[in-house]
Amino acid sequence: MTGPLAGIRIADFTWVWAGPHATLQLAHLGAEVIRVEAVERPCVTRLLPPWPDGQPGLNRSGYFNQFNQGKRSIALDLKTPEGLDLAHRLVACSDVVTENFAAGVMDRLGLGYEALRALKPDVVMVALSGYGATGPEHEFVSYGPAQVPLSGMSSLTGYRDWPPMHVGISYGDPNGGAHGAFAVLAALWHRERTGEGQYVDLSQWETGMAVLAEGLMDQAMNGSAPARDGNRDPHMAPHGIFRAAGDDRWIAIAVRSDGEWHRLAALMGLAAPERERYATLAARKADEDAVEALVTGWTATRTPEDLMALLQDAGLAAAPAMTNRDLHDDAHLGARGFFVELEHPEVGRRRHLGIPWTMSGTPCTVARPAPCFGEATDYVLGELLGIDAATRADLRARGIVA
Amino acid sequence: MSAAATVQGDGALAGLRVVECGDGVAAAYAGKLFADLGADVVKVEPPAGDATRRRGPFPGGTVHRERSGLFLYLNANKRGIVLDLGRAVDRGALDRLLEGRDLLLTDLPGRARERDGLEWPAIHARHPDVVMTTIAPFGTHGPWADFEATDLTLWAAGGIAYLNGGGPGTDAMPPLKAFGQQAAFQGGVHAAVASMGALFGRRRTGAGQHVEVSIQECVASILELTYAFWPYMGLVASRLGHKPIQPLDFFECRDGWIYLCCIEEHQWQRFVELMGSPEWAGMELFQDRMARGANWDALKIFLQDWMREQSVRELYEAGQARRIPLAPVSTMGDLMQSEHLATRGFFAELAHPTAGTLRYPGAPYRFGATPWRLRTPAPLLGQHTAEVLDALGVDPASTAAPAGEAS
Repeated sequence: MTGPLAGIRIADFTWVWAGPHATLQLAHLGAEVIRVEAVERPCVTRLLPPWPDGQPGLNRSGYFNQFNQGKRSIALDLKTPEGLDLAHRLVACSDVVTENFAAGVMDRLGLGYEALRALKPDVVMVALSGYGATGPEHEFVSYGPAQVPLSGMSSLTGYRDWPPMHVGISYGDPNGGAHGAFAVLAALWHRERTGEGQYVDLSQWETGMAVLAEGLMDQAMNGSAPARDGNRDPHMAPHGIFRAAGDDRWIAIAVRSDGEWHRLAALMGLAAPERERYATLAARKADEDAVEALVTGWTATRTPEDLMALLQDAGLAAAPAMTNRDLHDDAHLGARGFFVELEHPEVGRRRHLGIPWTMSGTPCTVARPAPCFGEATDYVLGELLGIDAATRADLRARGIVA
Repeated sequence: MSAAATVQGDGALAGLRVVECGDGVAAAYAGKLFADLGADVVKVEPPAGDATRRRGPFPGGTVHRERSGLFLYLNANKRGIVLDLGRAVDRGALDRLLEGRDLLLTDLPGRARERDGLEWPAIHARHPDVVMTTIAPFGTHGPWADFEATDLTLWAAGGIAYLNGGGPGTDAMPPLKAFGQQAAFQGGVHAAVASMGALFGRRRTGAGQHVEVSIQECVASILELTYAFWPYMGLVASRLGHKPIQPLDFFECRDGWIYLCCIEEHQWQRFVELMGSPEWAGMELFQDRMARGANWDALKIFLQDWMREQSVRELYEAGQARRIPLAPVSTMGDLMQSEHLATRGFFAELAHPTAGTLRYPGAPYRFGATPWRLRTPAPLLGQHTAEVLDALGVDPASTAAPAGEAS
């Protein structure tokens, strides 16, 4: 492996999306991430679509295969003493433990921080729960979709005079996950310098508020929050996503200055009186519905791709509201080498989204496709824990590993 | 105690030395993540100050460059200096500043990076030990590398905007962005991760390196299960049409909004019990989550009628006591009054000489051994120029001064 974290091993007890997004970043950096899955309870995302030909299968989910690239998987029955012992032995030869169960679950399994620290005194353990490990609501049930409203995001997101709305994804998961990856790295940095490990308690709710500062600071200063206002912006107009030609095609356009307004108006062929009437931000904000109608009148007969080319030629910020298909076929992302297409034993060669950064000295690559369920059980038991083949076969026969 | 000592700390990243040459949210948020864990971060601003100083929110809505809530939040724990990197003297000062530094963060546009000498080859030639992270809307190479972008256009280009908004019968409504500058925040946190990775790489190789981050790719990389629907099934994921599973929706209670999430059958059954098992809930139309999805228009009316009489807090607690994952649609005021967050000490008070004492969003994570801390308020424009440049042996009178008056 060439990545900067080569040689770092993560015993990864996370599942669903938040934790796996955290450890995906660490795998991207070259760490050896070993997903520890329960024999009877594989990662939830293995059970969710999309599957090739619509045929479910533990190793066929595009959801799992996207967010577990580059990782390994072992399957253990953690509710048996032998399964728990194997998990302990894996932790003892790992640098980091990650988990995102509800508060208390790891303790009940015998995998709490105090137990693990006894096995591996300098272990770094990062827990990514919905509510955090303390506080009166710490045992509440947290699901990804409900984190968006809980965090405050929904109360600020939505069309003007409409109800609060979602954001389109379970945003608390990847946001918490990315912050979790940073926490792992910071704690490892401290360990490298001092030899001291530690436990990190991350709350998805709190990481969600960390990116809502514009709303929270408004509340702190003024005792009120910004009203929901669709795609508009107080300092830019027009600022929206406008209908383009085609079936449900759209173009995002943001005009950042009065000079940019004149360039847009020229492209649109607006007559001088209309161009001048809206020459200032204040005038455009005061009559934004009318300004947006003018823009839509121009965009609705042109494709988003043509519009982007025209607008970018004029130095204006614009991009299509891209679909998953648009991203898959995007020439820019392709030219950048963003896509990853590795041969997978059950789904073959399919295009996945790759690493959102490049690194010049210690290049980051996706070394292997997402793991089939338990594909590394023999590797971990044999090579890392030194368990012989006969014992491994016995553990497998008794359902302690899979 | 010297100012230099106050910006160090006992955090996990104490001892790391960072320079931030940015404008806006992305590099500033990456820098904040380092600073809040104890790194010494020097923020370099142009004479007119960072763009977020002009953006707000402001007290009473009055623009004031020392009172922008966004700037104050992003830049606490940092020292701030003013340099006009269009001038050779100021570029020389930046050069001195980078000596002995570990990390340079930038999200300046390509033209500005070129003009200001912030291109990787030039930085690397003079500072071979420095890790440099360049955050760019579409990355620094590829056909769109020089394209203009804002947070809105990047949220669209990364594929999330298309997934949100409207709903059945509302296909006239446009795709809808999330509140705030979320593309930049995602660019920032992912850039912070990659930068930490590059610093570990430097421990191995002994040399600095360049990290290049594409915000579009950061956004695309958090598309949940939707992206894979094309390569795996040839399906375009859309915000329109019915959700397959319900209830996963917003409801208006008598004192606010609540979000009901019943993914598992037992969660729905317990919610029906909580409602007192009304007769309609037993109808065949609503017998399982797929049927509830297919007949959502009807079910939503029944549910909304019942919800309208409830109180958000009571329903939240009663539901959670039954292990139903519903959640309040928190307003900013709700969050600042939350007993849970108060118990965890989430909000942190910080005094600033011009903006006064405010409650800031606090630690997104608790480190058991090395605390996250809010130590010093965001710098006034140019507050630390003299202190930082004096220590480098550069005459502060030779470099650019802040432009204009504070207000």
